[in-house]
Amino acid sequence: MKMPVGKDRIIVIGGGIQGCATAYFLARRGQDVTLLEKDHIARQASGVNAGGVRRLGRDPIEIPLSLASMDIWRSLQDHIGDHVDAFHPCFYLKVALDEDGQALGVDRIDALRKVGFQHEIWLEDPEIQRRLPHLSCPTYGGILVEGDGWALPWRIVQGFASAAVRNGARLVEDCRVISLERGGSGWQVHTTKGLFEAAQVVNCAGAWAAGLAALAGEAKFPLSPYAPMLAVTDRRPAILPAVMGVLGQTLSLKQLHTGQFVIGGGVRAHANLETSRGEVDIPALAASMNLATTLFADITSARIIRCWSGIEGYMPDDLPVIGRGSQPGLVHGFGFSAHGFQLGPAVGEALADLVMGQQPRISLAPFSPNRFETV
Amino acid sequence: MSVRSDYDLVIIGAGPAGLAAAIEASRHDLSTLVLDDQPAPGGQVYRNITRNRGQRHASAFLGNDYWSGSRLVDGFAHVSANVLTESRVWQITSDRQVLFSRHGKAQNVRAGAVLVANGAMERPMPIAGWTLPGVMSVGAAQTMLKTSGSGADGAVFVGSGPLFYLTVWQYLQAGFGVKAVVDTAPARMRPEHYVLAIPALLQPILLLKGLRWRAAIRRKTDYHAGATSVVIAGEDSATGVTFQDTSGRKQNIPAKHVFIHQGVVPNVNLTMATDLRHQWHPRQLCWIPQTDMFGESSVDGIFIAGDGMGIAGATAAALSGRLAARRIIARVKRRPFFMTPFWRALKWRQAAIRPFLDSLFKPPDDWRVPKEDHAIVCRCEALTKADVNAAIALGVSGPNQLKSYCRAGMGRCQGRMCALTIQKMIHNHNGGSEEEIGYLRIRPPIRPLTVGELAALAHEDAGR
Repeated sequence: MKMPVGKDRIIVIGGGIQGCATAYFLARRGQDVTLLEKDHIARQASGVNAGGVRRLGRDPIEIPLSLASMDIWRSLQDHIGDHVDAFHPCFYLKVALDEDGQALGVDRIDALRKVGFQHEIWLEDPEIQRRLPHLSCPTYGGILVEGDGWALPWRIVQGFASAAVRNGARLVEDCRVISLERGGSGWQVHTTKGLFEAAQVVNCAGAWAAGLAALAGEAKFPLSPYAPMLAVTDRRPAILPAVMGVLGQTLSLKQLHTGQFVIGGGVRAHANLETSRGEVDIPALAASMNLATTLFADITSARIIRCWSGIEGYMPDDLPVIGRGSQPGLVHGFGFSAHGFQLGPAVGEALADLVMGQQPRISLAPFSPNRFETV
Repeated sequence: MSVRSDYDLVIIGAGPAGLAAAIEASRHDLSTLVLDDQPAPGGQVYRNITRNRGQRHASAFLGNDYWSGSRLVDGFAHVSANVLTESRVWQITSDRQVLFSRHGKAQNVRAGAVLVANGAMERPMPIAGWTLPGVMSVGAAQTMLKTSGSGADGAVFVGSGPLFYLTVWQYLQAGFGVKAVVDTAPARMRPEHYVLAIPALLQPILLLKGLRWRAAIRRKTDYHAGATSVVIAGEDSATGVTFQDTSGRKQNIPAKHVFIHQGVVPNVNLTMATDLRHQWHPRQLCWIPQTDMFGESSVDGIFIAGDGMGIAGATAAALSGRLAARRIIARVKRRPFFMTPFWRALKWRQAAIRPFLDSLFKPPDDWRVPKEDHAIVCRCEALTKADVNAAIALGVSGPNQLKSYCRAGMGRCQGRMCALTIQKMIHNHNGGSEEEIGYLRIRPPIRPLTVGELAALAHEDAGR
């Protein structure tokens, strides 16, 4: 597919939440943008993650970005249109089940207060029991964030992709990048669907982003692919109006509008970048299941109908890479290390700012692509 | 019996293929574990044979083919293998861990080789009204007959295929009143059927048996050949069956019980969930795992035997089980494997009659996808043909993309009742080859596994 070189042509690579949100914000600002995706939209981690939309428990470095993103989530209607039931704000609660967990939580609240963040608050057990009458165990208190919730990941990502297209973006699926070369005034992107030319390229290729950066001649990023795992149960009576976790342990637990429970908790399976597939290791989910049944005995008899994983890229410091690459006309946004879904909208906006030479409203310095070179 | 943590061979399924393989492996002292769903060995075809034998006179109606399973079950009674009945295998990993639940607890064994012998399942028959209370599959009706000798008087049987005629015949032998048989196979054999019938003559006993069943059914029931446009009527439950007969007349038979069937297909959910390579079988219109001539799949050490590798019937299944076991024995004992006469016997039998049966009972396109827009396609998510077609029209490349749009195939049946229908509907819209459309991606656990059962694995690890 040979296209005339447009001065402001921008190519976004990767049809996950970051790429789709970026394409959307660029298109809405009138830019000439094309989104390339090797499979189809939201095929990997962006489309099949736990769907947690949370500010709770984030590294203080990314809290400003997370808060900014929440503003966009709250006005999602204005951006992606009719997706009323795709985002379900409720409250997020991370409870302590022992004194160690309690100490972790209390210390965290103190630390956040000191740097000026007020969104996480401490709840004592009676209030937790009042909010969750079906809880089966006493707690040592817990951290609450009001207004956090969950979303249907595929719907959200597809929503941004469709909104991008409505605003004039071009979307090319089943299009894998073969090579990336500087040429003329910008980039020549050779793909399985032909040659694309652009002034700037945005790398939102998730677990495949380091490979793409290498194609562009960048230094090697320390990005590792894994496939975080989740399980979903059959439909059960509604007992859980919140998204839940446990302090000091890895659990993510929610009940969808269908009554199905989604249970996960940071357990990663092996991922194969060649085949784009991960094999689920169901026994590794046993500890999360155990924790879920401790919280709610009613879940014990729920039937797991499916376990799955989506491939995600992890950085050594668990922080994303967001910023200009060392090559001119190349911008990176990847390595979200399994907590980028909520950040997506703000990241998309920030990447659009970078591409257009504007100052992002949140400082991206902590996410600099160069941060590993100085170490 | 103490269960070890690893075995030379783990066999999944105690039907003819699994039983024959276990007997063979036992003869050569392989440490073997047999896992089976049911309380007693026999699989679907010889279900409950050990108990029914005690009252053989009372259950004589099951017929000689059923009782011929005695030999395998007797041989199996003496094997050295560990046998765990009531075990539901929910995943095999590509490094040959076999994960299963038994009596409320998840368990895990390692295997030098795995033999998947979990047989076939009935092809979904999505005609209008198929989800109404009172409608049941013919296979389920036969299961009731075998486990408890129970059945329903005055049922109407709708469909075709060997299992269909056998079950009607067993129903009659057992003394249940069959109200009508609505046969959906073509009323007259077409030229291609005659051509394929010639090699089938090498299997005269099988052919005669089929003709005998059909003759008995014609004689003893209100029989309608070549029925088309079949619909099950009813609001809250089935009230009758309507169809068009060969003369083009519309018929209506009132009935509270309707048993439907249009053949069986390999039970591929387990092998699909392990990501074994599969291929489309254009004659049987189903997916089969790709194997070599001994049944070894695309993943090292995972073998398939029996109807799970393509529908061929009980005798062929036992032969393929024996053959795979021989190959596995050679693998474990590190000695050369010689072609056995079993192989030739197996091929012979498969080749002779199957193409004829496959072509005679091939479900026509309008039986694979319902005609009526309001007919349910995906039972779990209650999606009609119109619902699914609306999502397909948005532009999808296959079932995996479709499920993101409308949740078709995401319910608890894990595609068993809808995946073949959905695949055909996408094929009807997109064209191209059905193999390229592909099957729904199957995710483990493929059998019931409760959160509590899986949580029990965590307790076990903590105790170690």
